Order: sequence, then C-alpha cells, then structure tokens
Amino acid sequence: MSSLLEVDGVSFSYGSRSVLDSVSFHAEEGEFLALLGINGSGKSTLLDIISGFRIPETGTVSLGGRSQKQWKRREIAQQISHLPQAIHADLPFTAEQLVGMGRYPHTDRWYESDEDHKYIHAAMERTSCWPHRHRAFRSLSGGERQRVLLAACLAQDANTLLLDEPSTFLDIEQQLHCFSILRDEARAGKLCIAATHDLNLALTHCTRLLVLAGGVIAHDLRTEEAHDNKEWLSLFSRRLDMGKTPAGSPWVWYQ
Amino acid sequence: MTATQQRSFLARYSVLFSLVVFVAAALLLPWVGAGPISLSRVLQHQAPDYEILLQLRVSRTLLALVAGGALSLAGTLFQAMLRDALATPYTLGISAGASLGAVAVIAVGWETFFGIPVTWIGALAGAFGVLILVIGGAFRQRQISAFSLLLTGIAINSICAAFILIVGGTVGIARSFSITRWLIGSIDATSYTSLAALAVIVFLASGLILLQARSWNLLAVGERWAASRGVRVGSLLAQGYILGSILVAGAIALTGPIGFVGLIVPHLVRSRISPDHRLLMPCSFLLGGTLLALCDALGRIIMPPSELPAGAVLALIGGPYLVWVIRQRTPVEEI
Repeated sequence: MSSLLEVDGVSFSYGSRSVLDSVSFHAEEGEFLALLGINGSGKSTLLDIISGFRIPETGTVSLGGRSQKQWKRREIAQQISHLPQAIHADLPFTAEQLVGMGRYPHTDRWYESDEDHKYIHAAMERTSCWPHRHRAFRSLSGGERQRVLLAACLAQDANTLLLDEPSTFLDIEQQLHCFSILRDEARAGKLCIAATHDLNLALTHCTRLLVLAGGVIAHDLRTEEAHDNKEWLSLFSRRLDMGKTPAGSPWVWYQ
Repeated sequence: MTATQQRSFLARYSVLFSLVVFVAAALLLPWVGAGPISLSRVLQHQAPDYEILLQLRVSRTLLALVAGGALSLAGTLFQAMLRDALATPYTLGISAGASLGAVAVIAVGWETFFGIPVTWIGALAGAFGVLILVIGGAFRQRQISAFSLLLTGIAINSICAAFILIVGGTVGIARSFSITRWLIGSIDATSYTSLAALAVIVFLASGLILLQARSWNLLAVGERWAASRGVRVGSLLAQGYILGSILVAGAIALTGPIGFVGLIVPHLVRSRISPDHRLLMPCSFLLGGTLLALCDALGRIIMPPSELPAGAVLALIGGPYLVWVIRQRTPVEEI
C-alpha cells in the first residue's frame, strides 16, 4: 500500500551549492507535518519540489502511488496547493479575485460557478477575511494579505496543502487561528506540511516534525517523541531548552 | 450608489460600453478632418467628398482602431507576463527590431515593392528577426522566466537603437528626416487589402490571447502562483511572447512605433474598470483602438492644413492625463 505522498532520495542544488542531498520521507492523509530547519536548510526548496515547481536532480516524488512526472500540471494542482513564502504585494486584484484563482484547476468555465463561489466564501470566512473581499490586495496589511493567501489555498480544495511559513506577519491570535485551521484540515483527512520557524506552534499543533539539516532529514519524529528527545533542538540553537506549561503541553524557551 | 456597487455595475457593462464607443468611433471619426465633407455629396458618390471619405478617412480610422487595439492588448499582455507596470508593447524588443528594419529600407531608399510600401516589409522582417533570435536564445534553456525575457528585450532595444543611430547618421538629410518622421509613428491612409490582412491577423492573435484570460490573471500574480494552480508557465510565456509580437509587428509595420497607447490604456482600464483580464483585455483593445483613432482625428484638425502625427497627439494628451490619474491614486480609492 503506497502512501499519499512519497519522497524518495530527492537531491537538489542551485548551481554548485547543494541544498538537498537525498531526502526521503512518506506521509499519509490526516498528518500535519512541521518542516523545520534553520535558514537556508532547504525547506522552501523541498516544498517547491513536492509541488512540482522545481524538478529534483535525483530521486522521485510520488502522489497516491504514481510518480509526479506522470501527472499533468493541472492534475497536480487539483491535489496539491502551495502557499508561497512571498508574493508580489503590489497587486491590483481584490482579495476575492485572488482567492477565486484557487478554483482555476477545477473548472474550464469562463467565470466561476455558484459552487466555486461557495468554496471561495467558505475559505474566506474560515480565515476571517470575507469582510475584506472587495479591497485591493495591495491595500491590505501584511497579516490580512497572509490570510487571503491562506484562503486561496483552502479554496483550491486539494488533499495536500504545502505552506511556506504560513504564520509570517500574523499576530499571535491569528497564528494560533492559522495553525488550528491547518490542524482541522488534517483531522478532516488532508495532509498538511508547513515550513515554519515557530517551534512552539509546531509542537502544539502538528502531528510530526521533520527537521532538515545538512541537506537531509536529520530528525523525523512524532510530536510526542519530540518531547522526550531534545537532541533535535540543538540544531537550532544551543540556548534552547524544552519544558512544560502548567497545562502540560511542551514549551520551547531560550536562555 | 456606493463606490463598490458603482464599480461592479461598471465592470458588468464595461465590455458593452467599450464596444459601443469603438463602433461610434468607427462611424463618426471619418467625418472629422481639415475639410468638411457633405453627407449628401457622399450619398451621391460625388467627387471629391466621396473619395476623401472612403479612400482616405475611413481606411485611416479603421487602421487606427485596429492598430491601437492591437498595441493596447499587447501592452496589457506584456504587463501581465512581466508583472511590470512599466511594460509596453516595446519592452520586449520587437518594436526595436521592426524600427531597425524600416529604418534600414528607408536609408537604402527603396520605396515600394509590387505596390506595397517597403517600410512595411522592412518592419515585419526586423520584428520577426528579433522574434527568432529571442526564441532561439531565451527559450533554449528549459526554464524560461519573465525576467530573462525582460533582460533580453532591454538588450535588443539598446542594440537596435544603436544601429538606428548609426544608419541615421550615414544617410543624407532628407532620408534622415523620413526616418525621424517614421519613428514618431503616424496613421496614414492605407489600402483596404493591407488593412484586411492586418485585421485578420490581429483578430486571430487577439482571440487566442483572450481565450487565456484566466491564465493571464494567474501569471500576473506570479510564476509560482500560476504554476501551483495548474498553469504551464513556460509554454504560456512562449505563447504570449509570440502572439504579442505578432500583434505589435503587424500594427507598427503600418503605423510606426506608437508605443504609448499600450502603456496608458491598460493602466486606465485597470484602475477604472477592473484588473481582471477577462474584462481588462477586451476593454483595453476596444478603448485603445478608440483612443488612437481619436488622437488621429484630432491631429487632422489641430493645425490645418498640416497634420500632427497621432503618436504626438497621444503623447501630448495622454501623458498629462496619466500623470493626473496616478496622482489621484490614493490608498482610500483602492479600497
């Protein structure tokens, strides 16, 4: 039985600078993976490769047991949505138009159908950006923009969500809200993979942690295992330590 | 009506409105000119009114409508492809190639070839020379990007500009004047055969571009954004480059480089009607054609009996207007 997503021996380099050197992992429906690692460790590159935007030098990516190369661009987009880390901010489009673009791989209609509008509305309600729907993207604040982009990903209705630092620019309440949405998506049977620097959000919301270091997955831990084994923390900083909050959830703090 | 309602009303009827304006321009502008034309004389096929209207004014107006539309649509397209608000039909080097071709034949002194003005042939040859060069160069690598297209275009523009200067410096004063005159860009009466050829080419290329309107929306956001929603970015960029080049080459072979229409019209339509390419593209085509025809008509009557080239009128009116629109663009208005 093959997994929903299988990454096997994937390597990638930018010119002579090797970023990923034989990365392998499998993931199933219902998992929420945190992709961790210091700056430049290849998190974004790995997400790009899974989404099909970059072609790995060696290794394969399989979706639902079938090699990614055999999927058409549009078929991949029906199954994988990708939240980019940065987006050109000076866009004239309204928030609703941007979210509507998530429906692109599902229809050939000239305009979105009523059903498409239901997805758009639901996605924007979930990320609380429906009140901003008529505003131009460029007139939104950083946090509002990020919520619109997350809504665009949700509206795409793919079973795998790749998120490149989804909580950037969000205030703390919104960060928690964003990760709760992703956790709910995973519980509803989707696969979510979020690259993030926020170890506490990862520990409290994700089901599994992948730590990239030196071009490989240095640690692949279920979140509960990560509480006991503190070795992975030292890859980020020696000043980190992990304790427990009064409520009993793990908490990473620095000295 | 609130601002939002007003905007959605405008969006819904914008294509219809633009079409009405376009047709009105085609019907009315031929009557505008230095000399008055009497309707009754035209209806009786009396000279010279009948000939002036049909042979000169109508063909000229139609040329302005088609060329202006083609250039505005190409401008809209290139702005989406390059995600650059400053992109014009000429940013990618096609017009520079066309200009060099036309300038070269003016310098050699050829005038007509089987009845066709040789500048047309020169311009088309130059444009397609550039097209082939760029496709050979930028598209040879497997992953082409908007950025590499843009840099290639800038390089070609400078190279061609240098050659145009060299050619212009080596010919006599009379030919040098013809070169300058061609480079300003103007609408002249043209034969209905070449007009029909241009119209067919523009119609086909524009149709193919419009059919991809949803994809241009995605590409205008970003290449990765488009790719992760199912657009085959490389192939779309190549199609856009080739179709846009065909529009530009066809239009400026007959008019000379009137690039400004391709910058100003997409901006106005985007800020006044909609940034959605499903509306933006057809409206830009129709209103761009109208604007160029209007400028040409104004050029005929501003200082008779001499005529001001449409390119100059457009720059004189459109330039200040664009500055005014940009100054109006407050954050509040964008909400």
